[in-house]
Amino acid sequence: MKKVKTVIGIIWACAGLILIVVLFPGLPGFSKALGSLPFMKINPRYSGGDVAFSQVMPSCTLVVRKPVFTGLWKERSNGFVQVDWRGDIPAIISDTIDYNMDSSPDFAVRINTVEPVSELVPLSDQVENINVSTRVSYGWALRVNLKK
Amino acid sequence: MDNPGKTLQSKKTLGMSLLYTLPMFLITFMFISGGKPSFSDTTGTMAFFITFLGMNVLFFLMHYTGKTDRFRAVLFIVFALSLSFTLIKNIVDIRNSMSFSQADIVECKIPFCHLVIPMMIIPAAFTKSIIFPGTILGNFANISSMVVLWGIATIVLGRGFCSWGCFYGGWDDGFSRLRKKPLLRKIGDNWKWMPFAVLFMVAITAALTLIPTYCDWICPFKTVTEFEQVTGVESAAKAGVFISLFGGLVVFLPAFTKKRTQCSFLCPLGAVNTLSNKITPFTIKIDKKTCNECFKCVDVCPMFALTPDGVRSGNVSVFCSKCGKCVDACSKKAIHYGIKGIPAGTMKNFSRNIFLFVSFLFIAVFSAGSILFTVQSLLSLILK
Repeated sequence: MKKVKTVIGIIWACAGLILIVVLFPGLPGFSKALGSLPFMKINPRYSGGDVAFSQVMPSCTLVVRKPVFTGLWKERSNGFVQVDWRGDIPAIISDTIDYNMDSSPDFAVRINTVEPVSELVPLSDQVENINVSTRVSYGWALRVNLKK
Repeated sequence: MDNPGKTLQSKKTLGMSLLYTLPMFLITFMFISGGKPSFSDTTGTMAFFITFLGMNVLFFLMHYTGKTDRFRAVLFIVFALSLSFTLIKNIVDIRNSMSFSQADIVECKIPFCHLVIPMMIIPAAFTKSIIFPGTILGNFANISSMVVLWGIATIVLGRGFCSWGCFYGGWDDGFSRLRKKPLLRKIGDNWKWMPFAVLFMVAITAALTLIPTYCDWICPFKTVTEFEQVTGVESAAKAGVFISLFGGLVVFLPAFTKKRTQCSFLCPLGAVNTLSNKITPFTIKIDKKTCNECFKCVDVCPMFALTPDGVRSGNVSVFCSKCGKCVDACSKKAIHYGIKGIPAGTMKNFSRNIFLFVSFLFIAVFSAGSILFTVQSLLSLILK
């Protein structure tokens, strides 16, 4: 029994050695394989959610994301919606957003991208206040807090 | 007069040590150079050879002198310092600041580190997504690569990851070496269970809030990497917590106790690595036949893994990070690196050699990028 245990121990140790030797050259492949698994995507609370619709404007593109209410096992009562302006953003952004596409505007926003100052006018009961309004590498991003 | 026996033995040891270092020399050369060494730029070439030769000299000395911890610690501490330097320099170059902004979070540009892993498991199971504003693949410090690196390392090394792979551990390891003798000697042994409490707390709070709470509120290493921009009371409080924990658990307590207090009392990933110590092939063994129960090993252990009772019964606890301090301190060579299944006191050299090869290869290749960058940056400054 002692000999069997010794042999198993040595085999396991050698397997460890092989694993570490192949780890670094194989890292891109292993990472890609792991990254393709269904749970390996960024939670919408961080990524901002999937795109709901976009609208091409004179100097930039308005991208409205789907509202995010993600919770651990069920949707939460509070969430947010992200709106992006991609491209050359003007000094003043002034838009009215209908994020749920029910043909009635949900909020109006006026952003001075130079100062920068953002003002929100809620037009529906679900809209609360501004969570984030910031310049980003692709233009401007706005997150507006929502309740259900 | 020469002692022929001693000279012969030294030469044999030197030859054996060189032979043992040769595969590491070749493998690290291939891995660090990426298989395509380019020596077109003088500073880059110098930095490459300083890093590559420095690492191999440390590995050679481990075999030649029979000491592990003192040479491991050099690389481990340099890794921690260079990683912080690399990260801070890159961040400051891009953002002119060590803090990250709301824009970085919105764009998911935050570098991922292994300490997040315990918090992302439950949310990944329930929401099928990762609760971290980073990138899955591609960019620097992406989530997939870090998970693969840590996952394989923890299976192979167990809690050895905390002394041979963690790019933060070198900080408190370094501060724990500042004094020759500890000022504080009596620390409750039960504190070593604290990381499990922290692990439980952060795993539950992260699952409920979908926020990596340890990173957001606790991580002391934010002080030497990057942290949220201070824009209000909440972010100021967070910065206060980061700095206080860094000062207390990474600087002062290690310096006063000669123990790695952050790793032993706080780190939630350390708790996970403690569990994986059960499956790793490598361990520390005590040969009861040769042990004279001097308990030097208990005194020097920085992770509270050894107790007098444990030593008497020949048991090393799962808290062991395989740093090698106890092995170096044992004058009887009774405590040694071992492989599970092989009885204590047997095949000591084989077990040590295979463990050192595996663990050193991991830290050498893992740390090479940041050390190379740091050396190159310092050389550029000097040669300017």
